[in-house]
Amino acid sequence: MQVTIISPERTEFEGAADAIVAPAFDGLVGILPGHAPFLTLLGQGRVRVRRGSETVEVGVSRGFLQVAGDTVRIVADRVM
Amino acid sequence: MAKPRELRRRIRSVENTRKITRTMEMVATSKLKRAQDRVVAARPYAQALADVLADLYAPELAERFPLLRQPGRGTDRRVALVLITSNRGLCGAFNANLIREARQRLATLEEQGVVVDLHLVGRKGAAYFRFAGRAVASQRIDIGDRPTPAHAAELIGPLAEQFIAGTLEGVEVVFAQFRSAVSTPPTTLRILPVTAPARGAASGGDRAGAIANYILQPSAHEILERLLPLYVQNQLYRALVETAAAEHGARRTAMKNATDSAGDMLDVLRRTLNRARQAQITQEISEIVGGAEALQG
Repeated sequence: MQVTIISPERTEFEGAADAIVAPAFDGLVGILPGHAPFLTLLGQGRVRVRRGSETVEVGVSRGFLQVAGDTVRIVADRVM
Repeated sequence: MAKPRELRRRIRSVENTRKITRTMEMVATSKLKRAQDRVVAARPYAQALADVLADLYAPELAERFPLLRQPGRGTDRRVALVLITSNRGLCGAFNANLIREARQRLATLEEQGVVVDLHLVGRKGAAYFRFAGRAVASQRIDIGDRPTPAHAAELIGPLAEQFIAGTLEGVEVVFAQFRSAVSTPPTTLRILPVTAPARGAASGGDRAGAIANYILQPSAHEILERLLPLYVQNQLYRALVETAAAEHGARRTAMKNATDSAGDMLDVLRRTLNRARQAQITQEISEIVGGAEALQG
């Protein structure tokens, strides 16, 4: 699946992933390929994007996460 | 006819001015490039936020969100006008155009009996309204040409609070819309109350109503409540970023014109200098010849 992490200033990350763990407003959510359409608010914490054995970590706070088809959009007010 | 010495002095002076304007043109070009990149880089976020809000928005919700509430009874006839200008000059009519747009909007609003709070961003706008002697609600000159979302948040925070409290019936921004480096029309945008974004063409017709199939956590209502402030803040951020880019575009154009006219002036001055120099030589020759003939005669 395709992941994009977007901050107000720029697209912070764009790429394929096998699994994502993201901090939702009420706790961590895990997204695997084939996830149902999903929209949730982000809390504060680190998004982990795993592809093969590599993991990319990005700190986010506020915003939302959207799963639509095979793409995941993480739109955060602040990205650290 | 001007003296050759005087002409040489002027040529030197114009040459030096042209060096400065040409350098400023090159600096503005490189800053424009970076500012333009920031405008483009800010688009996906704005688009993503607008798409989701368009999907979640329903007209019947408008009454329940303070940020969406249209002005009605019970609100003060008071509007906050945020004018964004640059901190520096030498960019042609850039700031003058923005200030004119703001003054027109100000006049229109005041005609309708609305009290206007002026919030100024940028040294040029602040200087104008100080000169005009108009009271200003707030001003800041520290944002410069690299605005951040944090700047936008600081600006909109107090205004949004006043809007929610009902002491403001609207917030408008006057900024330079960045269509291209040479087209940056001054624009007035009403950012509060929020006009719900229309479903963008980019999101496609097939997604209209698709939100119904989404798993929403928490409810649509709560998501809207959290995302609306981000949307408002982002509109202001984009106004700041676009104005910054437009400023560099305007400066590049102004400095290019200045460099070109310095070149034209130099052409004329050099021609005049050569003519004066040749006239002087011709005169000297005819004096010598005349003198020699007088001796022989």
